[in-house]
Amino acid sequence: MPEMSPAELRARLAAALPDALVDVAPLAMTPPPAHGPQPGMFHPPDPFVHPDHLVAAALFVRDTLGYALLSDIAVVDYLYAGCFELVYRFYHPSGGPGIVLRVRVPRDAPQVPSLTPHWPAANFHEREAFDLFGVEFVGHPYLRRIYMWDEFEGFPMRKDFPRQGDKYLGGDE
Amino acid sequence: MMEPPFEIEIPRGRVIEVQRDDSRVRRGGGLLRGMAVIWKHWKESFRLNRSYSQIHGTFTIQYPEEKPRIPEAYRNMPILLYDDETGHELCTSCFQCERICPPQVIHMTQAKDPATGKPVPAVAEFIIEYDACMSCGFCAEVCPFDAIKMDHEFELSTDDHAQLTVHKAQLNRPISYYASIAPTMWAEVRESALKKLQGNIRRRPDVIGIAPHLTERIAARRAELAAQAAAPSPAAEPASPPAPSAPTEARKLTPEEKAAKLAAIRAAKAAQAGDGVTPSAEGGTPAEAPPADDKAARLAAIRAANAAKKAAATDAAPAATGEPTTPTPADDKAARLAAIRAANAAKRKQAADSVDTEEGS
Amino acid sequence: MLQTQELQVNIGPQHPSTHGVFRMLVTVDGETVVDLKPVFGYLHRNHEQIAEANTYLQNMPYTDRLDYFNSMANNHAYAMAVERLAGIEVPERAEYIRVLMVELTRILNHASAVGFMINDMGAWQTPLAFGMREREKILDLFEMASGARLMCNYFRFGGVARDLPPEFIPNLRELLVALPAYIDELERLLRDNEILLQRAVGIGILPREVALSYGVTGPVLRGSGIPYDVRKAEPYSVYDRFDFDIPIGKVGDVYDRFLVRIEEMRQSKRIIEQVLEQLPDAKGGHINPKARQNVRPPVGDAYARIESPKGELGFYLVSDGSGKPYRYKVRAPSFINLTPLADMCRGYKVADIVVILGSIDIVMGEVDR
Repeated sequence: MPEMSPAELRARLAAALPDALVDVAPLAMTPPPAHGPQPGMFHPPDPFVHPDHLVAAALFVRDTLGYALLSDIAVVDYLYAGCFELVYRFYHPSGGPGIVLRVRVPRDAPQVPSLTPHWPAANFHEREAFDLFGVEFVGHPYLRRIYMWDEFEGFPMRKDFPRQGDKYLGGDE
Repeated sequence: MMEPPFEIEIPRGRVIEVQRDDSRVRRGGGLLRGMAVIWKHWKESFRLNRSYSQIHGTFTIQYPEEKPRIPEAYRNMPILLYDDETGHELCTSCFQCERICPPQVIHMTQAKDPATGKPVPAVAEFIIEYDACMSCGFCAEVCPFDAIKMDHEFELSTDDHAQLTVHKAQLNRPISYYASIAPTMWAEVRESALKKLQGNIRRRPDVIGIAPHLTERIAARRAELAAQAAAPSPAAEPASPPAPSAPTEARKLTPEEKAAKLAAIRAAKAAQAGDGVTPSAEGGTPAEAPPADDKAARLAAIRAANAAKKAAATDAAPAATGEPTTPTPADDKAARLAAIRAANAAKRKQAADSVDTEEGS
Repeated sequence: MLQTQELQVNIGPQHPSTHGVFRMLVTVDGETVVDLKPVFGYLHRNHEQIAEANTYLQNMPYTDRLDYFNSMANNHAYAMAVERLAGIEVPERAEYIRVLMVELTRILNHASAVGFMINDMGAWQTPLAFGMREREKILDLFEMASGARLMCNYFRFGGVARDLPPEFIPNLRELLVALPAYIDELERLLRDNEILLQRAVGIGILPREVALSYGVTGPVLRGSGIPYDVRKAEPYSVYDRFDFDIPIGKVGDVYDRFLVRIEEMRQSKRIIEQVLEQLPDAKGGHINPKARQNVRPPVGDAYARIESPKGELGFYLVSDGSGKPYRYKVRAPSFINLTPLADMCRGYKVADIVVILGSIDIVMGEVDR
């Protein structure tokens, strides 16, 4: 069962696609509290990929490394840090732990190239990310809302979406 | 892209391919095989099957004439427990269930001592919205006093929606009920729950904490407390300033004992500081008495006035003899406080009189 | 020449055979399906945002309601994710109890999935009732252990909520006596039935070469011939101590998925027997006594996945150091298994859509969350 540590993945990506990798700084998820213990910074070991080279990196992972099962695309909204982080999770059909690629895009311009034309597994993940977070996937064949109705305005899972009450729930009561 | 066939090593197992066609079966035979299964079941359906190990037979339960066996752990909606013997509710309003409830359907207010306004380990009002309760059982799991438990009652349908916001009166059940539906689970926690209950009862003044529907028990308790207050107990030596007999064991004091102790300390201080102060008659305002803040003074005045009304017939002598083991109610506290002050006043007066008589004779 | 016109037909959301509130916009040419667009969201409860507002423990009953057929499996994946995030260990007996519960869930899910699929074919409740029969006994077992039949809320961080009651194991052993006969009977009822063969063989083929690229997992992937099972691929809990096989199909049609599910029921029974043999005694403890249920994990993230009866169920949790998750994402198998639905249905008849949907075995609670 193949196993690849994040460091090994980073090395192989650096060798094959040198422009793809991006170095990111540790991220603070919440504003630091006024007193008390400071929570740690978030610094995952997985390689971060530049959005422009995402498709190339994903196809490298699939074709060269053999991780053909795209399991999950998760979007996390880091409001305080001002970015969205997309976590791509790949698994090898022979088994073993998977590998993770991460992409960070700024919150005010969240465009990421879509994997769907090359990899159909990403289809619903990307539609869900678009619907709930507003991340725009350039090149997706059918980027429409998937959970909310089409005319809905707003992106519900964002951290600045009002939890109780907005124009749909009678927020001005 | 990985090309099939895949070489995948499976540890401790094989990859088996399902057998699609069964050459033993003739055309049309498959339907008949299925019908044979149905026929066997139909034949066997004329006997009852109540065993897990058989697959034939009728296992239908004729509800509602027959009820299903409900296991002990079954949880449907929460209920509150109260003790059969003393009538006290186990709930102390600690808010743990309210905090843990995922849909936030539990609401409660803590009971307060009517005399001091301090919170008492008992619950005043307890509301659960049954219509939104998920029956997850977390409230029963976290309750430190085993006061809220999960009931087995599932026939709760009603056409009155307001009835599903259930108040404490409908939530109360005796411990005997819960012990009958979940004996093993109750037996595990019974000892510790009752021990904690005893501790809580001691901290509850008056009839606070007794389930409100036990009206006879409440009336009996009130009568008992009133009897204790009105009983002319022989005057103890007024010279012992901590007048109610001090608790002999080291344990937490009841509210009345605490008040009495405080009063005794204040009286002692007053006796020290107020030498030469005009001895106030019983019922007079103890404005010169030590409580420096106005509120305590006014409170003491009110109590003294009440005590005066109560003990108007008797004279000022009796000092309270609160036994450490029986909790005395809060309204007797005022009487004893006044009695202590009166006793001290009498003592001073006596001393003054003796001085006078000495001088005057 | 007669010209035909393509017509857009709406199936659902209120439909007895769409396994919940699920809508499909089908473009048909006559009776043949040209295109299919699934529409989701009718059961969207914003579960993920509710979870961000609750503490980690308060989320446990909500995970029951994701895949409401297999609540034990949802609980397991979530408990594993939190344990990975917070670094909580699970004692052995608790692990065995967990595996026992999830394998029982697998049996009951496959039994009712098969029943529902055949019901959708028109066999009208008889196979469904057969499928639900032993399910009732397993649900009684769940009620004995956890207190509820469907919304079990049984798993806690570091173990399970309560140890198995004394009557559980004897009843389970009795059930195991009956299970082989039951599974054989369920298979014999349906397997060679000519009507089933007409309606299932060659329908809804998901070819092996493209199955992986669609991201499907579970019996759908295995029916297409790829032996990927998370229990063997990345063994979690104590699955590496059991011997069991992985059934795969040859063609990837509805019939293969049906047979794969039947065979998986048999393998689950094998696992349960091994669990009963190896179960540590009660001193092992049903929960880690040092595990706090009000966890405050350090800043970080964790992903845990299990082989739920529908596929690979994963929970991605991000913690910001407080008692509530910062991000809580569910990788729902039913949702992703619907990706190839359009391609699987193209070229078949309208009546086949329902059968294909039944063979994917979806639960809308998971699809819509």
